[in-house]
Amino acid sequence: MKTYIIKRILMAMPMMLAVSFIAFALINLMPVDPVEVALRVNEIIPTEEAIQGMTEELGLDQPYFERYFSWLKDVVRLDFGHSYINKNRTVMGEISRSLPATLRLAGVSLMIVLVVSIPLGVLCAVYKNSLFDKIIRLFIFVGTAMPNYWVGILLMWLFAVRLNWLPTGGNREAGAIILPSITLSLTYIATYVRLIRNNMIENMEENYVFYARVRGIKERVIVIKHVLRNSIQSSITALGMSIVQLISGTVVIENIFAWPGIGRLCITAIFNRDYPIIQAYIFLMGILFIFCNLLVDIVQHSIDPRLSEEG
Amino acid sequence: MYFNKKVIQLAIIVMLLATMVVGCGSNGDSDTSSNPSNIEDSTNKEEIVYVNFRDIRDLNPHIYSGELFAQNLLFEGLVMMTDEGVKPWLAKDWKISEDGLTYIFYLREGVEFSDGYKFDAHAVEANIQAIYDNYDRHGWLESIRLLEDFGATDEYTFEMTLKEPYYPLLIELAVTRPFRFISPNCFIDGTTKDGVDGLNGTGKYVLTENHIDEYAVFDVNESYWGDKPEINRIIAKVMPDNQTRALALERGEIDIIYGTNMIDAETFIRFSEMDGFETSLSDPLATRMLIMNSTDEILSDGNIRQAINAAVNREEISEGIFYGLEAPADRLLASTVPYCDVELEGYIYSLDKANGLLEEAGWQTGTNGIREKDGNPLEIQMHYNADSVTERMISEYLQNELLKVGIKLNITGEEEQSYRDRMKSGDFSITFNISWGTPYDPHSFLGGMRMPAVYGDYAAQQGLEEVEKLHDTILQAFITVDEIERQEYYDYILTYLHEEAVYVPLTYERNRAIYNEKVKNVTFNPSQYEVPLEKMHLE
Repeated sequence: MKTYIIKRILMAMPMMLAVSFIAFALINLMPVDPVEVALRVNEIIPTEEAIQGMTEELGLDQPYFERYFSWLKDVVRLDFGHSYINKNRTVMGEISRSLPATLRLAGVSLMIVLVVSIPLGVLCAVYKNSLFDKIIRLFIFVGTAMPNYWVGILLMWLFAVRLNWLPTGGNREAGAIILPSITLSLTYIATYVRLIRNNMIENMEENYVFYARVRGIKERVIVIKHVLRNSIQSSITALGMSIVQLISGTVVIENIFAWPGIGRLCITAIFNRDYPIIQAYIFLMGILFIFCNLLVDIVQHSIDPRLSEEG
Repeated sequence: MYFNKKVIQLAIIVMLLATMVVGCGSNGDSDTSSNPSNIEDSTNKEEIVYVNFRDIRDLNPHIYSGELFAQNLLFEGLVMMTDEGVKPWLAKDWKISEDGLTYIFYLREGVEFSDGYKFDAHAVEANIQAIYDNYDRHGWLESIRLLEDFGATDEYTFEMTLKEPYYPLLIELAVTRPFRFISPNCFIDGTTKDGVDGLNGTGKYVLTENHIDEYAVFDVNESYWGDKPEINRIIAKVMPDNQTRALALERGEIDIIYGTNMIDAETFIRFSEMDGFETSLSDPLATRMLIMNSTDEILSDGNIRQAINAAVNREEISEGIFYGLEAPADRLLASTVPYCDVELEGYIYSLDKANGLLEEAGWQTGTNGIREKDGNPLEIQMHYNADSVTERMISEYLQNELLKVGIKLNITGEEEQSYRDRMKSGDFSITFNISWGTPYDPHSFLGGMRMPAVYGDYAAQQGLEEVEKLHDTILQAFITVDEIERQEYYDYILTYLHEEAVYVPLTYERNRAIYNEKVKNVTFNPSQYEVPLEKMHLE
């Protein structure tokens, strides 16, 4: 187990390096000269002298790889430089300010996904092809088809304006997190209900379920202790990846619900061409993806030791 | 039944409780507050909740990174712009020398910055020096470029000398930035170009809290030198989404939505018919237009540009896209704009005229309905800002309309910053443009035409025969001290641009506001970028 974990961490290192290089290179591949952007966002006319000055200030007169390693050295110390737009704000400061809000939103959404999709998935499998199952499947179909933005506005209109139960946005009022987290979780609930339902149905056809019934074990115990446990395992990979998707997928939701998270920070940075923030966002999301992937592999490995024999 | 009701109920309760608990957790603040207010307690009659699409950002009054409405609440200038023209503010009076080069301002006494620092001619000098230190960033302002000398001549007298006469100086001193005053205590290393340490102005309000990307709180400046506003507290919430803002207003979370980019025409109409809400519209303030690149292979022909102008049905755009909230524009600048009441034959919608001009230019209708010349189709590329629903609608409409006269218009929507970069670099055939609006029109708008690599105008005009004369005349209009002569210069500029048809005026934009009926005295300042919150009151 220890060997496996060390091996996986070592394998993750070059991937992290590749992510850092991609994050750095992508900005350099953009069609607009970062020097001109830095000048224009600060309302400075890009004269030759100004371009020369800004080029030196940003270190863009240095060789490419020298710039990359210098950037990487700073990044290791979590120093992503300063925002182009608000020069007095560091990129890390901006991320530290906005990330907790996104983590809360993603955390609550994940909890809703788990609490709703596991029982629904199990019930749909147990009552396969019943009216209940059909209604839930219809909900899944609608939930998957409807865009986040539209669902968010509909929920806002119903619960905030018509019923006056919840605020339209922000993160100050009690219950402000409810609408954005429900909106964010709907798509994932649809996905996981379907996944758990199908896995459960597959597992219920297996021989071990038949033997368990023959041995007279209660159906509820079979479903929860054996079938569900085996079915959940295959969902763990998807769940691990969903955590990253939840964190990086909050952009639209944060915009609609005026939620001050990292998604909004990123979208504002994109509109303003605030390259250092975009760069940091790409890098951090890439690292998060690798980290979650690693975590999922380790968890799966600990649950099912056969994997190490296969791998 | 494998799961009894209790298990399901318990799961639901756990989920709701967990949601509430986490939802009421920490907020990850980064703010300037020492005593966070309860922004939901809107029972205070003297508190108004305003909404903006983004954070107030950096409110340093000498740079351009902050929200204008907020800078306007905190900082004041020597003079102010009113409907009757330039009026005294922190300068109670001024004198202009006969040659138009020297301006002497007599300052108001007994004024203090909100940190207690005395406002006098030395504070004005320090501020103007701080602005001048950042010369590169103010390249668009002729008044900075022409500034020869400035300084305090005594405690309450401040003098400015220009290299050349420049009549719009007072207007430029009146607009929100950069000529507003911040306490020298807030300077960093004796200047403001690298930031400020505090936001203490002489304005009617002080910033007491700022929760980045969430909301800011402005409280009345208790030491204000003049009449205090009726509204004690302004809460400026941040809501990026149009729909959310409208729903928040409907629910009563906010009191007012104000500004052209904050309210679409449909929302405006909806609220104008809704009980409990009121709407207001300003007079025309800026011209929405297309700009055509005269260096473009096809558009270098004036007949083509004239034909496009004739093929545009402005009435239909006004009614169909703007629901009549924007008036059709048949000339570059409305005749109500200073010096723009020039005798011109406004552009008229006439497909016959457009077809005639295209024939004259040698473009014959091809087999597929698209005109051709020397085997080349009459195909023009137009870019628009993909983030603007209005621009997309106008683009699609024009694409269809121009087909009627055999012009194939290819439209491309681009993300806003790319679109602006393209415009500034002159890499376009047709794109959207808007005049600067009051009080910047006509001088700043026309002055911007003379600057390369800043706005699309300069690049678009390079194909014109008299471009040098045009730009020189713009400068002459600024420096002459003779009113009659200045009007003659403006006559030439506006007539020449109209005849050369580099611009396709579409509509005259109007500022707008929708608000809860309890908000009274919602007015519009001459500058579209200011929100006169300090004039409002609640009933």
